[in-house]
Amino acid sequence: MGVDVVDLRESVCCGAPIKSVNDFAANYLGARVIALAGLTGLENLLVPCNRCHFTISESRNIMKSDPRISGKIKDLLREEGLQYSEIKIWHTIDFLHDCIGIEQIKKAVTKPLTGIKVATHVGCQIIRYSDLERVDNAENPRKLDELICALGAEIVDYEEKLDCCGYSLILSHPDSALSLTGSKLKAVQKLPVDSLVVSCPGCQTMFDSKQKDAETTVGAKFSTPVIYYTQLLGLALNIDGNRLGLNMNQSPVDQLSAKIASNQNISRHPSGT
Amino acid sequence: MVRGFFIVTKIGVYVCHCGLNIAGVVDVERIAEYAENLPDVAVSRHCTYMCSESGQRMVQDDIKSLGIDRIVIAACSPKMHEDTFRRAVSETGLNPYLIEIVNLREHVSWVHTHEPEKATEKAEELVRMGVARVRLSEPLKSRRVKVEKSVLIVGGGIAGIQSSLDLANAGFKVYLVEKSPSIGGRMSQLDKTFPTLDCSACILTPKMVDVAKHRNIMLLTNAEVMEVKGFVGNYEVSILKKPRYVDAKKCVGCELCTRVCPVKVPDEFNENLSEKRAISIYSPHAVPKIAMINPNYCLRLKYNKGVCAKCQNACEAIAINFEQKPEVNQVKVGAIILAVGSEVFNGSKMAELGYGRFKNVISNIEFERISDASGPTDGKIVTPKDHKMPKTIVFIQCVGSRDKRFHEYCCRVGCMVTLKQAILAREKIEGNVRIYVCYVDLRAFGKGYDEFYRRARDMDIDFIAGIPSEIHGSPDGSLYFDVYDKGTNKLLQITADLVVLGTGLVPNRDMGQLSALVHASRSADGFFLEAHPKLKPLESAMSGVFLAGACQGPKDIPDTVAQASGAAAKVIDLLSNGEIELEPLKAVVNKDLCSGCNICGSICPFAAIEIHLEKAEEGVKYRAEVIEAMCQGCGLCCPACPSGAIKMPQFTTSQVLSQVEAALAEPIVKGGK
Amino acid sequence: MSVVDLMSMAKPNLEARGKVLTKLHGREMVNCFQCMKCTSGCTALKLLELKPHEIIKLVNLGFVDELPTSNIIWTCVTCLKCVERCPQKASPYHVIMALRNLAVEKEAKMPEHYLKAVSHILETGLTDTPEKIVTRKLQTVDRDSLKLPKIKPPMESFQSALMKAMEEK
Repeated sequence: MGVDVVDLRESVCCGAPIKSVNDFAANYLGARVIALAGLTGLENLLVPCNRCHFTISESRNIMKSDPRISGKIKDLLREEGLQYSEIKIWHTIDFLHDCIGIEQIKKAVTKPLTGIKVATHVGCQIIRYSDLERVDNAENPRKLDELICALGAEIVDYEEKLDCCGYSLILSHPDSALSLTGSKLKAVQKLPVDSLVVSCPGCQTMFDSKQKDAETTVGAKFSTPVIYYTQLLGLALNIDGNRLGLNMNQSPVDQLSAKIASNQNISRHPSGT
Repeated sequence: MVRGFFIVTKIGVYVCHCGLNIAGVVDVERIAEYAENLPDVAVSRHCTYMCSESGQRMVQDDIKSLGIDRIVIAACSPKMHEDTFRRAVSETGLNPYLIEIVNLREHVSWVHTHEPEKATEKAEELVRMGVARVRLSEPLKSRRVKVEKSVLIVGGGIAGIQSSLDLANAGFKVYLVEKSPSIGGRMSQLDKTFPTLDCSACILTPKMVDVAKHRNIMLLTNAEVMEVKGFVGNYEVSILKKPRYVDAKKCVGCELCTRVCPVKVPDEFNENLSEKRAISIYSPHAVPKIAMINPNYCLRLKYNKGVCAKCQNACEAIAINFEQKPEVNQVKVGAIILAVGSEVFNGSKMAELGYGRFKNVISNIEFERISDASGPTDGKIVTPKDHKMPKTIVFIQCVGSRDKRFHEYCCRVGCMVTLKQAILAREKIEGNVRIYVCYVDLRAFGKGYDEFYRRARDMDIDFIAGIPSEIHGSPDGSLYFDVYDKGTNKLLQITADLVVLGTGLVPNRDMGQLSALVHASRSADGFFLEAHPKLKPLESAMSGVFLAGACQGPKDIPDTVAQASGAAAKVIDLLSNGEIELEPLKAVVNKDLCSGCNICGSICPFAAIEIHLEKAEEGVKYRAEVIEAMCQGCGLCCPACPSGAIKMPQFTTSQVLSQVEAALAEPIVKGGK
Repeated sequence: MSVVDLMSMAKPNLEARGKVLTKLHGREMVNCFQCMKCTSGCTALKLLELKPHEIIKLVNLGFVDELPTSNIIWTCVTCLKCVERCPQKASPYHVIMALRNLAVEKEAKMPEHYLKAVSHILETGLTDTPEKIVTRKLQTVDRDSLKLPKIKPPMESFQSALMKAMEEK
């Protein structure tokens, strides 16, 4: 779609897990990521993970609003020869929706996902809290839904849409975390959908990798394919499943790929949305 | 007294103890002694209460016997007693504008309570400054202007209606302008009123009819104020009467037209819970009872062809007139009362509560229409989605109020409205309906209000101390949500058939427009700003503009009626003499120096300066003129004028500079009395 | 001090409360009027009994000391619903995070993975090392087999800077 992605000089934590230990250090790490991005000279930083996006956004906010803290952080950055400068922070969802645009995506789709119905889980930390410029509306996020419709698929809304996946507690309170995951999967399972679409690696871990564990915790059987939006987008662009990493999803995504393929065979219309 | 270089005056300085208010911090005796030695001070005294009769007499005696001709009163804020002393002084024949009030209370003793020595030093400085200024004061004469003994009242709700009747009965001509096709306002939408559960229409409609019949009231409905020119006592107002497309003199209110009109229109009076026709009478008890065609929906008016006209054919009074044009009325009034009321918070802004998404989540004003016998459901309390009797009703308080995201203020009426509606629900719905009120703080502050709250508890209405975070809906139309109750420490999951949101009162959408039209400021919360929050709640800072009802701040009916009658009394106070006195502290233009550049006019926040073409020695030239009645004496024009042609009496450049010099000088020792 | 909690004999510690306030970037915590909205919607309430309104009230009244050593502050899921919806912007989430920071300063008992993450970040820049995984088709996969680029670790100066950052209170 005409987007070049440049890696940062280092792969380094944004600070999210450290927020509970030392908020200042977490803000420092977030600001450091922004500073590393500044080294590339580019104007846009893409942060594909919800938690990272939240942490880096809070860092940016502190750098803007608290001169005492931002002064200290800038001093620390200077020790490594880094400089803090403003940059536009995107998440995958608003980058695709607002920067690239729905129309562009529609045009790029070569294999429309006709007849496919999905439920979305956009997550918590990219829609809340509103005072901190977020990716989408906190009570009625629609961007992910619109992105999916642009692929030719349909959205099914549900009351539990804004519920949390529980990822933050997986290491300290695994039963509770999986209980939250399981409750949401139970709700999604009741819907006439072919898949649950997520946008955050944390949520993906819970709904996809730990779907079996959630079954045990809440005493239910799940068979919901869970994939990233980018994977769904890739399928609509006719990119091979393995290149999209579909082989690594732990949930039963094969049934989704199969349905997509068979739907496309059934509809023998000329390409075009 | 000789003016010029040597100014000879006899200044009297009077320092007030104000009980212990000033004397408890400031050494008042020392101040009086200090003042004695200031230049031109002939006498300096101190007294426990200067504003008392003896205190005033002290000043008057000195004027008469010692020839004192400039006075400094070092006491409380001029806002308290400047008028008192002016009156006392005029009684002796001395010009009342030769007084200077030095504020030793609000500016010294009350703010420097813990530093008496420094406070006394500051008091000395302030008195020194006051003496320097008053020495240069000139006598001023106030002017009397004739006033119109008529009043414009904007808004025909209970506030406007009450003010109109009070003023009309007092012999004033009233122009009552109402935006919608009928008067009555919010109160006419109510079923019952708290805490008496009086039928709202029953107590309101007699007053509405009185207004319509009163020979001193000119009722202009379906009308709006377009322009206000002039000044207090002499306003010129343009009122736009929008066309009803129905001849008001011929229509008898039979509603035959409504029955044949094919176009359905959302019924605004019923909060869009029902539909009416493009031609209709606005509300069940409308005054005036005259039909109106909505030009946005009427086929003939909207599409401008010769279509339909079924109403015209049906009308036996031949009252329909599609050609009716808007009319502009110009009226002259002496005062304006703003009584435009308020609106109800739009619940969909609080998206987590599901208003707008779920049909069975409604606002309190919608509940009121449902409960009203002349409403969309004939007074049966049923769920909007499928018109069934609810088995569980939940009221949720503080929606849009006390909230930094929306409106920070408390809407004052929300709790009482909910109590009333909960009691009505209990009385009207048969069987054992569960009624819950989720509240934050239950405010029942007025007369009979807490007793009303007890009555609600007596009726098995359950109160939950806590509000929910989000509301969800089931396919069958019922709502479910969790709420934590502080009293039992339980997390309750509630399934309700009907949820009523205690949506608060918010400023009207056209407040901004109206505010600009009459120069009435608004407070931070968006409502009209009163001249003083405690002592002047009925008037705006703009002279001649008064405030009544919810447009000044959310309030209930008793407070509205009280304020409306109060505003009327204020108007009578202002206009009853037939003339008013204008304070002479107004800007004055020196015609010889004025070049007509209009820098002053462009700065003036009160539009009190006009540029006129005037005859001068060299033909005609542009000159500024101050409209005294509009000038509020703010003084912004004076420093702006590049040629010093405009000045403010008592705040002349020499006076202000003399104060500055006095402030910075070392204490002066007077040489020779 | 003229206030005592008769159940626990605890007294308000206003200094500790002041410490919490300095960690927050605003004073809105004191504006809480106990509307219960945060607790009504708290994701962690049903399973773990976390009551955000109670935490804020305890801190506001000065009963701070019992909190950093308690387990309850580690139950927050960080869903941020309480921050989003509080009518007074008291933000219980931020108060809980400040209490967690206090717990670390006091070396109180806490879930170990947080400190493990810190030491890992100091060493490698990441919270954990990338692992091999077994796919649902029972294949073993890791970064090399996927031909993903090698992870570039941070420079040495990073360690000292981060350690300094961790000293800030």
